[in-house]
Order: sequence, then structure tokens, then C-alpha cells
Amino acid sequence: MDSAHWKKIQDLFHAAADLPPQEQRAFLKNACGDDDKLAAEILTLLAEDSQGSSLLDRDVAHIAGQVFDESAATSLAFKEFGPYRIKQMLGEGGMGVVYLAERSDLGTQVAIKFLRDAWLSPARRERFASEQRTLAQLNHSSIARLYDADTLDDGTPWFVMEYVEGVALTEYCRRNQCSIERRLQLFRAVCEAVLYAHQHAVIHRDLKPSNILVKNDGSVRLLDFGIAKQIENLETPVEQTRDGLRLMTPAYASPEQFRGERVGIRADVYSLGVILHELLAGRLPFDFSNRSAAEAEKIIAGQAPEKPSAVANRAKESQLATDARTPSASKTAWADLDVLCLTAMHKDEARRYQSVEALIRDIDHYLKGEPLEARLDSLRYRAGKFVRRNRRSVIAAAAVVTVILGVVVFFTVRLAIARNAALAESARTQRIQQFMSNLFQGGDEAAGPSDDLRVITLLDRGVQEARALDADPKVQSELYQTLGEIYQKLGKLDQADSLMHSALEERKSIFGADSREVAESLVALGLLRADQAKLDDAERLVREGLAMSKRHLPANHPDVAKGTAALGKVLEDRGEYDQAIQVLNEAVRLQSSGAADATVTPELASSLSELANTQFYAGHYGASEALNERVLGMNRQLYGERHPLVADTLINLGAIQLDLGHYKEAEAFDRQALEIDRAFYGNDHPETASAMTILGRALVYEQRYDEAADLLQQALAIQERVYGKVHPRVATVLNDLGTAALHQGKLDDAEADFQRMADICRQVYGNKHYLVATALSNIASVEMERKQYAQAEEIYRDVVRRYTEALSPNHPNTGIARIKLGRALLRQQRYTEAEVESRAGYEILIKQTNPTISWLQNARQDLAEEYTALGRPADTAKFKAEFALSGNEPK
Amino acid sequence: MRESAGKTVMPPDNNPAPGFDATNFGTTPEERRALDHLFSETYEELRRLASSVRRGDPSATLNPTALVNEAWLKLANSPEIASTSRLHFKRIAARAMRQVLVEAARRRNARKRGGPEGVMVTFDETLGDGAQLGNDLVALDAALEELARVNPRQATMVECRFFGGLDIPETAELLEISEATVLRDWRAVKAWLANELHRVR
Repeated sequence: MDSAHWKKIQDLFHAAADLPPQEQRAFLKNACGDDDKLAAEILTLLAEDSQGSSLLDRDVAHIAGQVFDESAATSLAFKEFGPYRIKQMLGEGGMGVVYLAERSDLGTQVAIKFLRDAWLSPARRERFASEQRTLAQLNHSSIARLYDADTLDDGTPWFVMEYVEGVALTEYCRRNQCSIERRLQLFRAVCEAVLYAHQHAVIHRDLKPSNILVKNDGSVRLLDFGIAKQIENLETPVEQTRDGLRLMTPAYASPEQFRGERVGIRADVYSLGVILHELLAGRLPFDFSNRSAAEAEKIIAGQAPEKPSAVANRAKESQLATDARTPSASKTAWADLDVLCLTAMHKDEARRYQSVEALIRDIDHYLKGEPLEARLDSLRYRAGKFVRRNRRSVIAAAAVVTVILGVVVFFTVRLAIARNAALAESARTQRIQQFMSNLFQGGDEAAGPSDDLRVITLLDRGVQEARALDADPKVQSELYQTLGEIYQKLGKLDQADSLMHSALEERKSIFGADSREVAESLVALGLLRADQAKLDDAERLVREGLAMSKRHLPANHPDVAKGTAALGKVLEDRGEYDQAIQVLNEAVRLQSSGAADATVTPELASSLSELANTQFYAGHYGASEALNERVLGMNRQLYGERHPLVADTLINLGAIQLDLGHYKEAEAFDRQALEIDRAFYGNDHPETASAMTILGRALVYEQRYDEAADLLQQALAIQERVYGKVHPRVATVLNDLGTAALHQGKLDDAEADFQRMADICRQVYGNKHYLVATALSNIASVEMERKQYAQAEEIYRDVVRRYTEALSPNHPNTGIARIKLGRALLRQQRYTEAEVESRAGYEILIKQTNPTISWLQNARQDLAEEYTALGRPADTAKFKAEFALSGNEPK
Repeated sequence: MRESAGKTVMPPDNNPAPGFDATNFGTTPEERRALDHLFSETYEELRRLASSVRRGDPSATLNPTALVNEAWLKLANSPEIASTSRLHFKRIAARAMRQVLVEAARRRNARKRGGPEGVMVTFDETLGDGAQLGNDLVALDAALEELARVNPRQATMVECRFFGGLDIPETAELLEISEATVLRDWRAVKAWLANELHRVR
């Protein structure tokens, strides 16, 4: 057939088709003339047309049903292969079929998963291989293990897993009429397995009871990592299409999965919350049966899930309702269970448990009868809002929301400990409990803290409550101390001071002026003084406390180590790096009990990290690098590969590389850190933004200004959204953004960025703060670029004055500013004045243990030029020689 | 099978896998990858559909139109698809469906003809309506290839309407022809294809 022939056929077909059947034959005979073959062809088509039933009239869906029918589901029967003998099908999904098989040589039962129709697309093969890799890296008693994997002769990939004979979690609980405690214990075991996966950078994404089996011995197994995700792969753009709900079970899917967004570990937290809801209430929080995906999404976004307690109470006939009436699930217990469950499945990711670890902690709190950390969820949330609303006052002390959040939780636990201690030794249980509930519940328990309840108000109320505890001085002093530390972290240093002072005085009168309790207070007060920039006092107090601790306690007591570490920190703040290094080494020695292969503890890691920082400030890059590597290993061991503390250490390693002029290496570290923060906090979190800023900085050094500017703009948008337009974090980004703009030749943009930075620093820190000078100095750099040397000179003079007052005449920043001033003068050919500034700056920097080489080189260059102009060839030669000699050093 | 060097029904690597041919659509590797994912999802949706139809699930009333629409809704936000118009997307999905179905049928036929003796694993085939349909699909595919040679536009029309569930107005818009022309072409082409299928039976 050719096109012309086909055209002819169609024309005749259409002409004939509209005629009555009896006339068609005559028409064709006439139209086709002698061409009987053509006429016959068209008659055949007309016959097909009138018959009307063709493959093309059938529904593709049904055809698909038929065609796929035989390939796997109904009649797939394997013979033996390798050591495996296939017994029966266990299940099938969109992707694979799972069979029960026996290993003939070992007689054990295994499950084998085959990828059906592997030939169809590389993406499917990749997904299957990814599940296999995921399983291979997970080695946990509650996760079904991978045993073997290969490909069939026809190209079908398969892998062999542990066969788990058990029933779904919910079914198990129903059958065995498990108590709430038992349910929570099982659920906790599931959480442990999920946490383990998260620590190995794997998000399950399809958690549901049918993927969680309970064996006869009561142990749980997590199955089906078919759509699990490596956290590092989340960046790959096409993955977004695969993150879609399509692969997920809607009843357990998080709102962000419904929205098709990139999901993180908190999606698993949500699914766990739904499972918990089902375990507690006996049914799912939302009924999606007979709902379309769009309807389900609407429900999940718009409706609040009912409290499990309400559902359980309503379902009187259910086994759980019976439990609910038992003392083990009192009304108070239900209130906690509601909070636990609804926090895990909060619609807003930011208000959910931020990790499975946090969820486990609260389960443990519940099981031990301790207050839940999630009770503070709304409080934390409001704390954040409070900080945003009262930016200026709070920022003044550089308190950041995240710190507050962490701190409030941390101290709540401490308060709980204080309370428990009090309970043990005092009969005044009621009062303490009331203290706690008044402090954190703000009256109406069900409603939570009222809207205008602020962190500070709350703490102030706590202080009043504490003051009322006169009859209980021990508890009172503990509360004072704790509340004081909270105020300190919030930047309310005056309140902190007064409370910690009260704690100190009280302890003196209870335990005696020379006691281990007083020693502890002295060290804490010393650290507060360091925050207040009263470094003499700080050092004196910490030394006094440490000496006292040593008198009362064995040399290897944690308090002694803590005091030693505190002293190291204060010395570091003082810039006494050599001493600080010595002291911190001692702290490390104490915390590792002298052993080289000491148990890794958070305290030890923290001291080593402090030591690494000190070595960095002291310019000992090699030592700092080695220490940071060690800290990195420890933090990974303590917190897992992808914890923010690991990211912090990576950033420190990057900073070293940056200072060494190894920009590429710095970039690599910063990128790793960014990936971790992004996976942990999400894309729009200030910590992620901060990692972006640091990476952006490295890119500026690499002269990749466009990429840097792009990243920095994103970071700026996030910080502004979270902290508002006026915040130190915003200023930090503006600084780097301005620098990138300056290098891009966008001078007006650069000036605007630096100007904003200056304004923010003025508002936040006050006009005399050194950061204002930094911002001004950057504005002057823009003027230099514009060749407006007189303007630049004027600003630099101001900057030098500011640095001299805010820091000291010999501070490196002062030195750098003078070198810059010298250059502004040099460009105006005012050689005599220029030489004075360049030389002064040079003399300051050359004395530093960690001279900023690039500025020193600038000074040498300028000086050589100035001495030439001034007719002092010997001096010129000296600086030219120095310049050349240092040329090979890192920038 | 680590040890076995048994003969193969369809060698996995030496023969080019007859997977989704994305080269007509995507130009960059990213686009091709995106399309491959799209293709995979379409395939898996068909799979699920097939099993729900088999189970007699009353909610299994999804037709190709609904399926493609749903796929569009879910994928529309992804950056690769965002630049693709809805119609173009449907066109891709239709192509995916055609390949899924035809390749499944072809592969099934290959298995039925039986691999060489001694293959340790085989699929137990039952002949039924599915077998005839499989043959028809393979024949339809060949006929469409033939049609594409003489009138590519009409071949595309069949692909979109039959495999992609596009309605008449959508088909007209995509092919930039009038609805009347679509109707007219559809009638002639359908008759011709039906005859081709009969001929090979």
C-alpha cells in the first residue's frame, strides 16, 4: 500500500459508506471501473464498518486485564532453581511478585521477590535494584533480612529475603487483646527499626500495619522497602515523580506525600502516628475508602483527626474501650496518648515529632509516667512566634528559635528530673506537680497554653512558682538553677544572673560554702559571665568552682571534667588559645578516662569539638583538622551518618579548607553538610539556609559568583521568612550576597546588600558593635570598585575608629581595615599617609599566630609600591622579597 | 542464578530491551529519564488495574481516560512534565500504553512458543481469551506501523484514541485537524485495521 492508494481507498469508502447498502455495490462498480480488486477491498472495509465490533471498540482497561492476567498472578508456577524450590505465592504488587520457597540444602523457608517484566524499563529495574541495595545495608533484628540476589536466565531479577511468618501488627493486637502498654511496646519496637533505617539514610515511605508483622514469639519485622528512599537520592529531580502518592498507601500517607512534595523522615513519623492511632483507637483516623485521591487529599489537609481517646471511648464494644476503663489507661493517660499520637501525625511537618527518636523518647516518657516532651509542642510553636513578634528584644541576645526549642525541651526534662528527685525525698508532691502543670500547661489542660502565652511569661510564672517553694530549699535551688540556665540560653542574661545567684546563695546555706553543689553553681555562673563578656569574672568563677569540685570529688568525676571543659571554653573566649588547648586536652583526658579507645560520649565529642575550634582559631589547621575528623567519627557513631552535628563538623572541616585556600575541598564538605541539613530539617529551614550560605561563601571564593548568588538568594528568602527582615542571620547572608554581587560587578546591588547589613547590625547589636564596622568596610569596598577613593577613604577611617573601640587597636580586623585604608590613600597617590596605614596594618597582622595571609600580601604589595614612590628602594626590596617568599603559601 | 549457564528465552542484555522508546519525545537524558519514569508508572497503574479487574473489584472502572487524567494530575507538578502540555503528556502516556500492552503480548507469545527444553524456570501458560487478544494486539501494532508509513497522522490518531483515551475534541486539537476529519478518519481507519486483524488470524 502506498499513500496515494490509501487516499483513493478512503475517498471511495466514505463516498460509498453514506449510501444505502444496496446501492454501494453499484456505486463501486461504477467508480472502480475495471479495478475489481479495489472494489473488493472497499467492500471488505464496508463490511467491517457495518459489523462495528472491532478490537478498537473495546476498553483498553479490560484488554490490559486479560493480557497481564497470565503473566504472573494466577498460574505462575516455578520449578526449582539453584537451591530454591518455589512453594506458593505470598503476594503481588505493582512491581514484583513474592513467593514462599524452600532452600533445599538448608531446609529453611525464604521469601523470594521477582521483578515482573523487568525488560519494560530501566526505571523499574533500577527501583528493584534499589530495594535490594537498601535491604542489603539494613541489618537489624526487626527488619527482614536480605540473603541472596541474582537474575534469572530470562533477565528477571530476584532477591531472597527472610521469610516472616506472622500476622499484621493491628491484627496481632486484636487477636491477642493486647493492653495499651503491650501495644506501645510493640509500636516502640517498630519505631526502633524505622529509626535504624533513618540512621542509615533510608526512608521507608510505605509504613502500614500490613508491612509490619508480629511473629509468634512476639517480635516484630518490618517488611517491604519497595518504595524506600535513600536520603541522598532525594535531590535527583525525577525522583519527585516517584515520590508521588501513586506508590503509597493513602490511608497512611502524610499530607506532604499527598501534595507530591519531596518527603523526609517526618513522613515516616506521620505514618507511624497513623499506625499508633489505629492501634489505640481500633480504627484509622480518616476513612478514605471509596474516596478519590483528590478527595482524600482534601480531607487530610482540612480535617483534624479525632483524638484516639474519643474514638476509643465511643466504641464501647471494642476491646480497647475495656482497656480504657482500666486504671492503666486513666483519663490522664489517655490525654498523654492523644498528645503522643496527634503530635506524630500533625499536618504541619514542623510541628510533628522531628525524628522517630523524639517519638520514642515520648513513648518512653509515657511508659515511665514522665511528662511528655510533646506537651510543649504548641508552646514551642508559640515560642517561635513570640521570637518573631518580639524580634528586636530577643535578638539582642542572639537567641534563635531553634535554640529555644531545643533548650526548652532539654530543660523540661531536667525539670522533670528535679521533680522526680523531689518526689523521692519530699512529701510535697502536690506542690511540685502543680508547679509543673502551672508552668507548662497554662491552666486549661485540654486547650493547652493560651494564645498570648509567651515563653518569657511562662518562665516568669515559673520563677514565681519557684519562689513559693520556700519550704523546699533544695528543690527551689535546683529550679532556680535550671530556670536560670533557660534564661541564659534565651539571652535574658540579667534574669539568668539573678536566678543563678539565688541558686548559689541557697546552695551555700544548704550545703555549705565549700561543697560540690556550690562548685557546680560557680561553674555555671562562670559560663554565664562569659556570655556577659565579663571574662575576668568568668575565669575566676570557673576556676574557683573547679578547684572546689576537685576538693570534694574524685579526679575522674564528671563534674570535674565538666568544670575543666568550662574553663577551656572561657579561655578560648579570652583568646588564650595555648592555655585553652592545654585545659581542653585535660578535659578530654578526663572524659575518656585516659584510655585512647575510650567510650564515645556526647560530652567527650563536645569537648573535642571545642578543642578543634580552639586549634582552628590558633591557626593550627593540621591539629584542628585531625580533631575534627575524630569528632566526625564520634558524632557519626553517636548520632548516625546524617545528623546535624555531623553536618556541623563537616562545616568546620570545610572552614579549615577554605582558610587553607583549598576552595574545592571546602565546597565538597559544605555540600555534604548541606545535604544532611536539607534531609534532616527540610528545604525551607533556617539551618538548611545557613548551610547554603556557607556553601555560597565557598563558591564565591571559587569565583563561581552566579551559582553562589543563586544559593544565597534562596538562603536569604528562607531566613527572612523565618526571622523577619531584621535579624543577624539575615545580615550574615547579606554579607555574602553583597560580596558575590561585588564580584559580579553589580555594584549597586552590593552596596544595597551591605547597607542593609549595616542597618540590621545597628538595630540588633547597637551602633558600636564591630559588625557595623564590618558592613561599613564592605560598603567602602564597593566605593573602591567604583574608584571613588575619597569616599572609600572616609568610610575606612570611620571603620578603623570603630574597630579600635569595639575590639582593640591591635585586633586583626583593625589591621585589615588599616591596610584597606592604606590602599584607598595609595590610589589617591598620597604615598606618605598611605605608608603609615599600610605599615601599621602590616605590623598588626604579622604578629598574629594566624595572620590572614591574603591581607598581609596586599599590605606587602602596597608597601612596595609606596616605598618606590617615596624613594626608599631598600624598603621596597624588603617587601617585594617577602611578597615573593610568601607567594607559595596558601592565600 | 549464579552457576547456571542455561539457555535463555530472551537474553536480558545482548538483545536491546524492547522498552519504552523515549527517543521520539525526550531530547535530553533527563527528559528521557523522566519519560521512562512516567512510562513505568503508567505500566504499574495498568498492572494494578489489571489485577483489580481480575478480582472483580467493583471500583475497577477506571478507563484509559481516567487513568491518563489521574497520571497527569499526579505528575503535572514535576519539573520535567511541567513544560509539557497536557495534550502532549497524554500523547506520551498513550505511546506508553501501546508499548506496555504490545510488548507484554509479544513477550507472552514468545514464552508460549516455548523456550528451548531445559529452561529451568518457565511460566505456565493457559490459553484463553487473553491469548487471542495478545495476538490481536501484536497484529494491531504491526498494522499501525504500516499505517504510519502511509499516513502517520492517522496512526497517531489511533494510538491516542485507543491507547490513550483521548476524546474527539482532544484528538482534533492535538493533530490540528477538525473534529469532523477525526470522525471521518477514525471510521475508515477502524474498518481497515479490523480487516488487517482478521487477515492475520
